[in-house]
Amino acid sequence: MAKVFLNGQPVEHPHEVHEHISPMSTYNAVIGALFVLTGLTFAVSFADLGPASLTVAMVVAFIKASLVVAYFMHLKYDDKYHLFVFLGTIIFVGIFFGFTMFDLKSRDALNDEQETFVRWKEQQNAGKGLVVGVDNVPERRAKVLADIEAHGGGHGGGDHGGEHKADAKAEHKAAAH
Amino acid sequence: MSSAVQSHDPHPAVEPSYLVSKRGLMSWLVTVDHKRLGLMYLASVMFFFLIAGILAIILRTELFTPDQDFMSAQTYNQVFTLHGAIMVFLFIIPSVPAALGNFLLPLMLGAKDVAFPRLNLLSFYVYSAGAVFLIAAILTSGLDTGWTFYTPYSTSTGTAVITATTGVFIAGFSSILTGLNFVVTVHKMRAPGMNWNRMPLFVWAIYSTAVIQVLATPVLAITLLLLIIERSLGIGIFDPAMGGDPVLFQHFFWFYSHPAVYIMILPGFGIISELVTVHSRKHIFGYKAIALSSVAIAVISFVVWGHHLFVSGQSELAGVLFSFLTFAVGVPTAIKTFSWVATLYKGSIQYNTACWYGMAFLWTFTVGGLTGLPLSTLAIDVHLHDTYFVVAHFHYVMVGGTVVAFIGGLHHWWPKMTGKMFNETAGKIGCLLVFIGFNVTFMTQFFLGHQGMPRRYYAYLPEYQVMHQVSTIGSYILAVGLLWTLIYLVHSLFKGEKAPSNPWGAVSLEWQTQSPPIEHNFHETPHIHGSPYDFPEIDKSGAGGHH
Amino acid sequence: MSNEHAHAPAHDDDEHNPHLAHHFDTMGQQTASAKLGMWLFLATEILMFSGLFLAYFILRMFYPEMVLEAHEHLSKWAGGINTVVLLTSSYTMALGVRSIQLGDVKKLRLMLVLTILCGCIFMVVKYFEYSAKFQHGMLPGKYYTAHLHGYEIDGLPHIFFGVYFMMTGLHGIHVAIGLAIMLWMFVRAGRGEFGAKNYVAIENTGLYWHLVDLIWIFLFPLLYLVK
Repeated sequence: MAKVFLNGQPVEHPHEVHEHISPMSTYNAVIGALFVLTGLTFAVSFADLGPASLTVAMVVAFIKASLVVAYFMHLKYDDKYHLFVFLGTIIFVGIFFGFTMFDLKSRDALNDEQETFVRWKEQQNAGKGLVVGVDNVPERRAKVLADIEAHGGGHGGGDHGGEHKADAKAEHKAAAH
Repeated sequence: MSSAVQSHDPHPAVEPSYLVSKRGLMSWLVTVDHKRLGLMYLASVMFFFLIAGILAIILRTELFTPDQDFMSAQTYNQVFTLHGAIMVFLFIIPSVPAALGNFLLPLMLGAKDVAFPRLNLLSFYVYSAGAVFLIAAILTSGLDTGWTFYTPYSTSTGTAVITATTGVFIAGFSSILTGLNFVVTVHKMRAPGMNWNRMPLFVWAIYSTAVIQVLATPVLAITLLLLIIERSLGIGIFDPAMGGDPVLFQHFFWFYSHPAVYIMILPGFGIISELVTVHSRKHIFGYKAIALSSVAIAVISFVVWGHHLFVSGQSELAGVLFSFLTFAVGVPTAIKTFSWVATLYKGSIQYNTACWYGMAFLWTFTVGGLTGLPLSTLAIDVHLHDTYFVVAHFHYVMVGGTVVAFIGGLHHWWPKMTGKMFNETAGKIGCLLVFIGFNVTFMTQFFLGHQGMPRRYYAYLPEYQVMHQVSTIGSYILAVGLLWTLIYLVHSLFKGEKAPSNPWGAVSLEWQTQSPPIEHNFHETPHIHGSPYDFPEIDKSGAGGHH
Repeated sequence: MSNEHAHAPAHDDDEHNPHLAHHFDTMGQQTASAKLGMWLFLATEILMFSGLFLAYFILRMFYPEMVLEAHEHLSKWAGGINTVVLLTSSYTMALGVRSIQLGDVKKLRLMLVLTILCGCIFMVVKYFEYSAKFQHGMLPGKYYTAHLHGYEIDGLPHIFFGVYFMMTGLHGIHVAIGLAIMLWMFVRAGRGEFGAKNYVAIENTGLYWHLVDLIWIFLFPLLYLVK
């Protein structure tokens, strides 16, 4: 018969299917590991790990997922392009998560910067009758000014920054409710 | 060296073409032949192009005077929403990939069909079902959210948001299935000798498009599903009244919809790559650069969506980052444009209709692309956001880019698809009308936008009237040009000359079979030995004439 | 994937395999296409679910205390049992694929039955979980009425239950679809359609089912366990 081609390349033995068949022991070991890991996350959930619990749970979940993908889904033995598709998908999920979270996490960042700028400008202009219009939310501005009063002034770049951030966050949350 | 492809002397048409190999309505409705499905998509997208085009003309007519003429504000909102939604979801997204791509992809690869022919048929019907829902939305209570369905307006307006989004949701699955089918086809169905460096650039473009369709469209699906649930149950993810974040909707939406812009334009790039090289009888300049820039655009398109959110309340830091990344898209795009111009340079250009469209594209797309740069500059966008400048920019890219490329491609492959030649003179008149009409319509809108005319208004200040009237007249010229094109193309179906198998003297595989092709595309599986752009004339040092 | 088209193309000269569709040259090409298609489909599934996971993470970020308080109302034990059941079903499905690789149709059918059984147990547990939530008024969005049933959760718990029902509901729909596909595969296996050289449909069913399992592997700790 005519030569057979796949992906534009000649195929040597077109009618043979080469598939990796894993031994039973592999499947047994994998399911055993999956049960153990499930038990582990379950047990850990009763311990009070605080914020670390999310990390622990995610790491265990990733290990479990990798086991399923590699052995049950045969990705370890499969066409490498399938692995590329799978990992590529994860990367695009990462892009989706990464940029969206970046926006949400940094949403107040420059506002905080602006507040310190307002504080600094107010002091510069004290008594000169100049108004700084950087922050146009009146309540917020009033709060910043009150804050300056309470802390007795002083060019406060970094030293009050953290405190401010916390205040602003709380305020933001209150507004959201 | 003579031809890059082993010559298959076109058999005398012993075997009937795909158009007549089976007869009767049912043979079309349940066909799994990619060529017939391509034609069915073509008819469908043309139908929706006509409807959405009529809506556009209605909008432009309303804008002829500053005051309200025949539409209320509410009606105007509904009409521009339908214009946008139909154009984007039912016309542009399926236009090149599903219509031309379906027809050409297996032919260009030397395959008998796409990898999953029945899935292909299914995606046509899924698309039709989506279209039915969108039309149902029009016929019930309309839709006035704009094609972007932004929350919280879309969760509170009284119009048929759920019906419309269900339609888009379903049409999205058609897009996913088509993309999936094409990726597998390109990987697994290539003819002997067709390696990655011998694929026509149209195939590269369709491949990149398909990758975006597969990766981005599922996120649209979940976004619309969340929107539907938000509207019906009020779960509070997007709706601020329920504790959600409306900007989050825009993130979800644009994670799909910005890449979707490249779903719309990348296939157009592919068509232009074919047009400039075939009609200038010259090997494409920078084959690899063009091919890989398609892939690069596909990847970069996923990290720029935030430039739609510059004034939406996104964090300024994210805005700066997205602004920077957006400029990166300019690099691969410019690589393409320069390569096309370099291909034309010193080529023996044949000024036929398809080539005219190719050159029209180079002008309109360059204007469209370059006006994207000021818009991606964060500070300037704050001024230009939601003005006619944005409207003009994306119409230059979508209409001046994709639609012009689509019509050009339609002329280029018309003889192959239908087996008939159209009238060249009529074609050139049509191209001229479209080009003039288009530029008159949208060039003025750049000036309008720059002067501060906001988009989506049915009435405006009298200062803007002159330019609005110029724009409206331009849109009439454009409409006449498009109708003229439709008329002579349909006319050619009945009265056109019979097309030879290779009227343009092209080398890629689709021209090596008869026009129109037989049901299984090729009489025997072709073997490829070289580039799809090795035109014989070049090597014969100006001997001229083909075969 | 067989095709009704019986046009025997000229190249198909040595053997006409009834499982080979008209537009493929070899079984290898057909199998590889089907598997690549399936992996791409799984990619779309992952990206679709990723939207819900992102919604969940953002919910945690906005309202951490509320999420912690609300998630205490989900039954860890029901979730845990379901995890074990679903992992087991993945195991039996993988064994089913292995059986047909070895040409053992009988064992394949047994494994499919076991997998379907596990899937059904999952759905039954889910049913009890859901009906408890319905009784306590822990419903999504504007239907949330738990405070009328004596459950006070601070903040905006209707969002948490909205996300909970969205995630588990969409996952549940995938389980139901998987059960239907496996039933169909069971029937097809009974008709003798599969063999050691022609089992890509089983393999793809398996891939789909493992993906459903994969999503649950992440859903379970996030919704039920994490503090």
